[in-house]
Amino acid sequence: MDFFVSLVIAGACVGSVYALVAVGLNMTFWTTKTLNFGQGAVMMLSAMSTALLVQYGLSDVVSIVFGLLLVALTGVLVERIAIRPALKTAGSMGWVIATLGFGIVIQGVTARYFGSQAVAFPEVLFQVQDVVTIWGQSISLQYLAVLCISLVLIIVLECLTRFTVLGTAIQACAQDMELAVVQGLPVNLIISGSFVLSSLLAGVAGILVAQISGTVDPAFGFELVMFGFVAAVLGGMGNSGGALLGGIILGITSKLVGGYISTAAEHGIAFGLLILMLAIRPQGFFGRAEVNKA
Amino acid sequence: MKKNKFNHQLSIIMASLLLSGLSVQVQAQDTIKLGMTTALTGPFNEFGEGNRRGVVLAIEMFNKNGGVNGKKVELAEALDDQLVPDRAVQNMRRILDNKDIVAIIAPAGSGPSLATMDMLEADGRPVCNPLAQSPQVTLKNGEGKPPRANIISMAITNKSEATAMGQALGAKYKNVGILHESTAYGVTGSEMTKAAMLAKNPGVKVEVESYNQRSQDMASQVARMQRAGVEAVLVIGLGADFAVIRKNMSRLNVKADLYGSTGAVTPPYIEGAGNLALGTRTMSPTAFGLRPLKPAAQTFVDQYRAAHGTDRWYGPDEANPQLTLGTIVAQAYDCTRILLESMKAAGSTQPAAVIAAMNKLTDFKGVTNDSISFTPDNHDAFSAKDLSLFEMSKGKDGKLFLLPVKE
Repeated sequence: MDFFVSLVIAGACVGSVYALVAVGLNMTFWTTKTLNFGQGAVMMLSAMSTALLVQYGLSDVVSIVFGLLLVALTGVLVERIAIRPALKTAGSMGWVIATLGFGIVIQGVTARYFGSQAVAFPEVLFQVQDVVTIWGQSISLQYLAVLCISLVLIIVLECLTRFTVLGTAIQACAQDMELAVVQGLPVNLIISGSFVLSSLLAGVAGILVAQISGTVDPAFGFELVMFGFVAAVLGGMGNSGGALLGGIILGITSKLVGGYISTAAEHGIAFGLLILMLAIRPQGFFGRAEVNKA
Repeated sequence: MKKNKFNHQLSIIMASLLLSGLSVQVQAQDTIKLGMTTALTGPFNEFGEGNRRGVVLAIEMFNKNGGVNGKKVELAEALDDQLVPDRAVQNMRRILDNKDIVAIIAPAGSGPSLATMDMLEADGRPVCNPLAQSPQVTLKNGEGKPPRANIISMAITNKSEATAMGQALGAKYKNVGILHESTAYGVTGSEMTKAAMLAKNPGVKVEVESYNQRSQDMASQVARMQRAGVEAVLVIGLGADFAVIRKNMSRLNVKADLYGSTGAVTPPYIEGAGNLALGTRTMSPTAFGLRPLKPAAQTFVDQYRAAHGTDRWYGPDEANPQLTLGTIVAQAYDCTRILLESMKAAGSTQPAAVIAAMNKLTDFKGVTNDSISFTPDNHDAFSAKDLSLFEMSKGKDGKLFLLPVKE
């Protein structure tokens, strides 16, 4: 029983971070129907800058805030440099390569100036030894903190999009961009904002994962984006609740497969689930099937 | 008149160029040139840059003492492969195309080393392997067969480390977990250690798990070890991954004793795991753990500290260099010393003469091994008897360092 619970908790924790990444991908999907595949580098940037600033003597909080401001700026740049020009050509998929390339450039610049070595990440959320006992089961407070922060952020974001003017504006853009322009909505600003929000979520995800792994290096984050993408597809592209469910199902399934079947299959199962979902229900758990109006 | 003046100037320029070319050529013949490709940058540069420093320090020492056979020594090519086999092959091709290079230091890892060994063997120039642990670096055709004629190794081979570690674990525990990275280094090390453990204690239960390099969470692997009830966990991999595993063990409250391979207990592990590294055990060369150090080791340590201070490789304690200074930097230093001493003994840089001298090397006082001998049948400096168990301990200043285990 302990073994099962350990795997489920670890899986839910890691899965909640996948969900955070998935929600970040959804944000840009709503406004521009694009995904930022350079999101992994954004995660790395926030975690790496936080770790380096703490090493230089800044407090944890100031370092995290700086890291998040940096990735917010990166979000604006990604949209301006990699997305907006690519979308000028109707039907262009140039944004896929452009966002990937942007991520690789960030990685390269980081490696050039800060080295490719793993940097120790400070323990900003409890100590690794801190545990709480619930129903006789020791649970790491770091795992719980990561899970709680991810859940709270996703819920706040969902409330933001459902119950605020900003959220309504984002939904308007998502449903009909041209009509949103006609209605006088600042569409470009909303699109930029969605990239900033998406990058901020990726930045938080990066810091949370770095807390679990304990180190961060320039190659950090690439794998997480893949899992975040799988979580988004499982839940239904563009649906926050679906992303949360998809992420947690993915995290728990991976850990259970790793624990009970083989650790070698732990990562492979994610893509197995993706293929299965695309074959059985392409729109995901909560997505709505696309209808082509002739 | 103008034409004559132009011709005169042209002839002066041509003569100057010719002379400068000759002088370059004379200079080229007046130095003994070495070449290396290694991980100077990239995620594993603690190995490659450490190796380069060792080579440079040895060259400086020889040059300070008059060079080799009356000639100065220079590191003519130090190329960066980032531990990527393809890049190492390209770099090695460039090094081998330079016929002025008379000896070569092998790359800093099994992947790039194995990718370049056949071309090095075919070329025939003397080569020393400072770090790659795969036995195939020297023993192409397996144990008991003659080694590659021109390649010697200062590395702690998988075989010697696995034998020493397997014997230590088999003697102490009944249930051991091996967690290894899914590379040739990890897989071979795991198989050899398991075999050595079972040879020592046929009743020992061994649980084996693998992981991919740079995984960010290894809860499944650690939970499986916990469920198997292992008393000790041996991690065969690299430092940053070892730190992730150590943190996972702490989070899942796994209390098993922790052991790491020589590649795992490195600065990235200590930096990543912090105080959790306390109590971690590893096999390391006995000679470099002795205090006071033997003369050859002390000379190297003094030379390193004078050149680089107490840096990442040396460690924070001036009086007590960390063991990885030996296993990473000093092994390349000893490699260079052996190649150059063999040239001195041969009185030549001709490959056949240098290799013959290397094969006669007896009781050479190295930094990490106090008695190195090579024969035509043995090109490996280390065996299990040259290694001892060390444990991560805390000094009065709170810094972590490895101390010999007295059991």
